[in-house]
This record gives sequence, C-alpha cells and structure tokens, in this order.
Amino acid sequence: MKFSVNNTVKCGPRLGLLKEIEKHPNMSLETPMAMLYTRGGSIPHITNEVFKLVSHESQIIQIPLVSTYNFEDAMNDFQGDIADFVGMKECISCVTVQDPADYTQPGHHFQNCIPLWTRQGKVLINAKLYMNSIEAFKPDMYYLLSDSDTNIASSVKRTSNAVSNTISYFKECMERHEKSKVLKNSFVMGTIAGGYCFKSRKDCIDAVCSNDIVGGYLIDGLHNNGPEVELQKAEELKPIVKYVIEKLPQEKLRAIHGCWNPVTVLELVQLGIDLFDTSYCYILTERSCALTFSLDVEDKNDQYELNLRQQQYADDFQPILSGCTCLTCSKYSRGYIHHLVTVQELLGPLLLTIHNVHHYLKFFEKIRECIRNGTLSQLQEKITSQFNAYQEIITKKQTLVNVSKLKENNKDSDVSNQTPRTDNSSITEEDATEDSDAFDNDIIKETQNDTRTTVMETINKTEVKSIS
Amino acid sequence: MNNTRSPLIFNVLAECTTTKARTAQMILPHGKVDTPVFMPVGTQGTMKGLLSEQMENLGLQIILANTYHLGTKPGVEILEKAGGLHQFMNWNRALLTDSGGFQMVSLLKLAEITEEGVKFQTLNDHKSEIVLTPEHSIEIQNAIGADIIMQLDDVVKTTSPDEARITEAMYRTTRWLDRCLKAHKKPDEQNIFPIVQGTLNAELRTKSAKAHMERDVRGFAIGGLSGGESKDDFWKMVHLSTDILPKNKPRYLMGVGFAVDLVVCCALGVDMFDCVFPTRTARFGCALVMTGQLNLKQKKYKKDFSPIDEDCDCSTCKTYTRAYLHHIVTIHSTACHLLSTHNLAFQVRLMKNIQDSITNGNFPEFVIKFMSDLYPNKNYPSWIIDSLAAVNIKL
Ligand SMILES: [Zn+2]
Ligand SMILES: [Zn+2]
Repeated sequence: MKFSVNNTVKCGPRLGLLKEIEKHPNMSLETPMAMLYTRGGSIPHITNEVFKLVSHESQIIQIPLVSTYNFEDAMNDFQGDIADFVGMKECISCVTVQDPADYTQPGHHFQNCIPLWTRQGKVLINAKLYMNSIEAFKPDMYYLLSDSDTNIASSVKRTSNAVSNTISYFKECMERHEKSKVLKNSFVMGTIAGGYCFKSRKDCIDAVCSNDIVGGYLIDGLHNNGPEVELQKAEELKPIVKYVIEKLPQEKLRAIHGCWNPVTVLELVQLGIDLFDTSYCYILTERSCALTFSLDVEDKNDQYELNLRQQQYADDFQPILSGCTCLTCSKYSRGYIHHLVTVQELLGPLLLTIHNVHHYLKFFEKIRECIRNGTLSQLQEKITSQFNAYQEIITKKQTLVNVSKLKENNKDSDVSNQTPRTDNSSITEEDATEDSDAFDNDIIKETQNDTRTTVMETINKTEVKSIS
Repeated sequence: MNNTRSPLIFNVLAECTTTKARTAQMILPHGKVDTPVFMPVGTQGTMKGLLSEQMENLGLQIILANTYHLGTKPGVEILEKAGGLHQFMNWNRALLTDSGGFQMVSLLKLAEITEEGVKFQTLNDHKSEIVLTPEHSIEIQNAIGADIIMQLDDVVKTTSPDEARITEAMYRTTRWLDRCLKAHKKPDEQNIFPIVQGTLNAELRTKSAKAHMERDVRGFAIGGLSGGESKDDFWKMVHLSTDILPKNKPRYLMGVGFAVDLVVCCALGVDMFDCVFPTRTARFGCALVMTGQLNLKQKKYKKDFSPIDEDCDCSTCKTYTRAYLHHIVTIHSTACHLLSTHNLAFQVRLMKNIQDSITNGNFPEFVIKFMSDLYPNKNYPSWIIDSLAAVNIKL
C-alpha cells in the first residue's frame, strides 16, 4: 500500500491517496477519510449483508485489538486474514490497540507491557505478544504498540514514561515487522506518544521518525478514549497536534483516533490530519441520536442532531434528514425509529447506524471537496455555528431539568436530552418485552453502560428477570 | 369500501395422496403466501434487527406481530396516523396479528377473565384496571391493519383439569368470535380467523370447530395447544381438528415452530404456523440445522471454519464461519442478526422443501428421510411414529 499527498504546506489541510493495496489492487482511497469503527470485528449492529446494501465504496475497517484479542488462537489456524475472518473481505483492515469508543481505564502500568481491558478481563501485552496477534491477524494496515495512557492532565513523569515505553515497543515491533514474511505487505503505522508535553512528543518523534518502512503515524495519547472525547475542546488539542505535525515527515499518513465532534474534526483537518474513524457515529447511535448537521453551507436546516427518543418524534413520519439518500432515510421514518428506540428493539440502533455512518462519510466527502475548492473555512463556520447552538440548547434544557427536578421531585420533565427516559404508559417496559427482547435489551444496555459483564452474567440476569 | 375481491383466496395446488398434507397459494391484500408456511414473530413491529429488505431476501411472505405490544406502544393513535403497521415498519408483504389475549394471560399474572373480556391491572403508578374486550382487540387490530387478524379467545391452560372452566372457555370463545365479527371495521381488507378451542377434550374441540365453521370466515386457527401438554395429546388434537375443518380454507396452528413438529403437523394437514423459537434461540447463540441445532458458544466451534450449514445459501452461511460466530455470539448484537437470518432461512427452506415434495408427490418419502436424518439411530419418539401412522406413513 502506498500513500501520496498533494500538499506542500507543512501544516494545513491536504488531499491524499492510498493506493496499490496488495489485496485490493483496484482500490484507492482518498484522504482525509474515516475508517469504519468495529467492535469484535463487526461494525456495531451491521452485518455484512446490511453493509453491502448500504456501502458501495472502498472502506477501511478499524479493528481494535481490545475487542478481538481472543480471536488470535483461532486466527493462527485460519486460512485468511482478519478481514476474511470477520466477514468483511471487501474492506481493508486496520488493527489498532485500544477501542476509541470505550473509556480506557488509566493506570496499571508495568514495565514493558500495557493493559488491555478485554471482555475476558485484563490482559497485559508486550511487544512480542502484540506482534503475535498482528502476525495471526495479517491486517492490511496496523499501528505499532504504544503507551497511550496519557491525557491533558497527565504529569510530565507519566508522559515521559509513556514515550520511553513507546520507543522501546517501536524498536521491538519494527524488528519483528522487518523479519516477518506474513507482514511483508502490511502498511505499518508508527505511534507518537507523549500527551500534551512538547518535550515528550519531541523525544518520541526523534526516536521513531527515522524509519523508512513506516508508512504513517498515529498521534496517540491525547485522551483515554470513550464518549467524553466528543466534548474535548479543540483549543486544548491544537497546539500539541500542530507541534507534532510540524515535526512529522510530510509525505507520510497522519492519523488521530477518537469520537471527536465534527467541529474538532475540521480543526484537525485544517492542521493536516488524514485519517479518522467513525466511533463518533457509534456513541451517537448509542444515545439514540442522529446526525443532521449541514453538509451544504446554503442549507436552511439548522438542526445539528436529533434525539429520536424525544416524544415529539412519535408521530413524525418524515425521514431523519430530508434529502439524505441513505437506506434509513429513504425507507424509514423518525416515528418508527422513535418507536424502536423506546421499546429497545435492535433495529433502532441499526437504522441509526446506517444513517449516521452515511452522513459522517458524506461529511468527509464534503471535506475533500472543500479542500479542493478552498472552501473549508465556510463549511467549518456553518457546522461550528450549528454545533454551538445545539450545545447551548442542551445546556439550557439540562439546567431547566435540574431546576424543575429540584422544584418538583416527582414530576418528570419532557425536555431532557442527555438522560432519555421512557414513557410510562399502561404497561411497563419489562413486562411488555419479557416475551421477546429481554436479552436484546441487555445487549444494548450492556454496551451503553460499558460494563464488562461476562456472557454468563448477562444470561443469568435475563433469567432472573423472567422469573421475578 | 366497494371491494369485490375477497381479501383471502385459498387455492389448493396439490394434495398428498397418502397423508393430509397439501400445498396451496393464499392470496392476501398484501401479497401471495405459499403454504404450508412458517410465520416468524416480529413482536413490536420489527423482526429482530432485520431490515424489511433482508426479510424479503429471505423469501418471507408473511410475518406475525403482537397486538398486545403494539397496542401499548406505539398505540392505536400513532398506528392510525402512520397508515397502519405495513407503512409504519416499511413491510409491504402480508402480516398477521394475534388478538393480544394470550400475551395478556401469560405475561400478566394479575389478569382475570370475565364475560366482558380480559381484565388486568396496569403496572404503572395508577394501578388502574383495564379490560381488553373482543371489540377493543379488533379495534387495535384494525388500526394495525394486518391481512389476517385473530379473534380474542378465552385461553385456558392446556393442562388445566377444570372441565367446567374448559367448557366455559370454549363456549365463551364462540360468543367472543361473534362480538369480534360484529366489531370488525374492515372486513374487505382484513380476515378474522376464529380460534378452535377446547384444550385436550375431543368433544369440546369438535363442538368449537363446528360452531366456528357456521360463521362467515375464510380460515381457522387451532388454539390452546403447544402449552405444555404431552406430544401424544398434542398431535391427536391437531389430527382431530384438521379432520373437522373444511378443506378449502387455511388452517393455522398457533405457537408451533420446531422443525419436527412442522413436518408432522403438515402431514396432519396444517397450513400455517408461527413461533418465536427460531429468533429467540438465535439470541442465545443457537443455529438450526436439519439434524437439530448447534450451540455456537461451545468450545468445539472455536476453530471450526465451516459455515453453519454447507447447504444453506443464506447471507450468514455464505460469509461467516462457525469460528467467528463462536467468538461473538451472545456478546455482540450483530451475532443475533446473523443467527436470526440463518434460522429464518432454515425455516423458509424447510417449508419450501415440504411444499415441493407435496407438489412432486413424494411428501411421504421426504418425511421418512427427514426423520431418519434427525434420528439416525431410528430411535423415534412414539408420538412421531403414532402421528405419522395415523396419516399412513410408517417409519
Ligand atoms: Zn439518512
Ligand atoms: Zn444459513
């Protein structure tokens, strides 16, 4: 796989192309782009059949090792690579370490290994174990192991430890990569650790940027993943990201992970980041929201997103976003999705995922078009104003809710955005769904709460529920 | 509405000359249904995370929805505004709804049945009493707009020993049928099926069937079975019911969906079935195959790189291995979708094989082969031997 880029400016928006992909010689991918976020190898709620119904373009699937670690044993005997194994052979696979949509518990550092919080519990992996997994998975792309456990509040001691760990992983992993036959065609990405400390970042870049085999870099260690990343301020990020970008070799791919909101994505694109992921769509879907922000500066619509749980959509039979060409918007209504999410049926998040990912990929298409035309700032202005207006409404409603809760402790309010509630009509949810969906509900709740219950616990819970 | 065409046309295409099995085409307002048919259950207006496009790809021609759930949410008002469930859920093929009575009795332990209807206490804060009457059930079902709708029946536990109560329920079911037929607002678009009751009492069941046959209806359901009774009792009641019911109208056996039961009951002359089993078992990681089912959670599938079923051409079997499914079942919702897809494809394929064998005149051979695949040691349960013997198949 080869990456080429059009821009000669050190730090600015740029268009790039990924091509000559060994497994997919006819495929080429334009950057800036978003990889499709997966969990356990699948785009959440989306089977291959649905994927083929909705996607007609080349895509990269992002496969976090944390949710696929237990595949390794089977993969060692499997004739094929990780994309084949997870039933997504039409896609390019990219293995990453942590899950951008899941909060990664900080701490638990050990010399030469990092903790992976898998479903089966904590697993400590070092460079050797990591490369074992990578060789078993045989991905088209992967990131080198890094110590990414840093955020804006990290101490200098932590950031410098993170960097020295990352450098030693880099050396060991690259040594293995260069010797590996199965990884001969894999596009390898280095990782730059070091939190928000300029010196740490510099140390890391100095140590890892001399290698020619590395095809690109991930600017890692900016946060601990999970939904909170959405609300991290771009201003906090910009200085350190800019600093790193200026020091990175210009011709190499640059990636950043996380559920950034589109406003932050645009800021990062302005700095010259090429590769993102769709984990933002996942966290939005999990809270029953749909993206509706404008992709056209002339657009009259000013709604940033819709929360389909809100009662107002119960008898609204329009599509989520008029003019959207996704499968969800062409066939299903807001009212139907409202029904599905209130009764916790699995089709709800499925339909939301289809729309959200579609909209998000369109967003990246628009970004590329705007870079081409030099109109990125106008798009940025439009989306930023929609986003800010929406955040203001949420904050106001939250305050209102809090006030009214203080005033009348028992009365429910209908305006809550962030803490959706379900209506109490004549029969409660548990009774109504006992017959059909107790287990489905658990899956949804379980992913929402990010608990690490085992399968058995989940089933036991269900059984208890149906007995009681 | 001035609709001259009947909302249900039942054309028997072929009959087995040995057994009571038949294959037919049933023409409903929302499309044709080839019988014998298995109808999967999409309780709340959705089929376990499958898009309607996927259900069509599977070849599903009719699905079932639950009146009790839909009447609660989204409710009659929304359904009417949406133009019915077909529109609401984007499903343009046939639908069938139950009456809601069974769900109420089985879900709400507080339900009490009176002549008026099924009375129950709501579980919200108000603790108010609500009665589901035959009229109310039809009102909801009219709002849902399914092609086939069910009368509200008085459900007694199949294994109940209380003869007086069973008798009362049987007669009441017929009285409620008349109230349902009277309350029905869309007789040109929706077909009410009466439900033959009488639990395991042959005499009562005969009376029930005969009384319902006097009404102007286009098909019949056989109810009150599949509720914990012995298989010996079960098949005899099915056999008895299909002997009485007219040959020119469809017969729907409620709550039956295991492959072996489907094969036997087709032989006994049943045309329609429904059951939550194929999709429910999918959620627990089980995949249906002709020889039974695979529990994909089991360790032995960890490195099994074959599809669930080599002979299945569903999208799951074409793309995914048992090994991958093993790793994600009961963890990721995608696994539910994948197994539901396969399990429904399995049911569709089984019914198609039954239809084809009836058409080709080799249904008895099909049954014998099916049973010997399922019981390779030929240790057939006695109820299967007896029920098939009753329709001239000797295992
Ligand atoms: Zn859409
Ligand atoms: Zn299959």
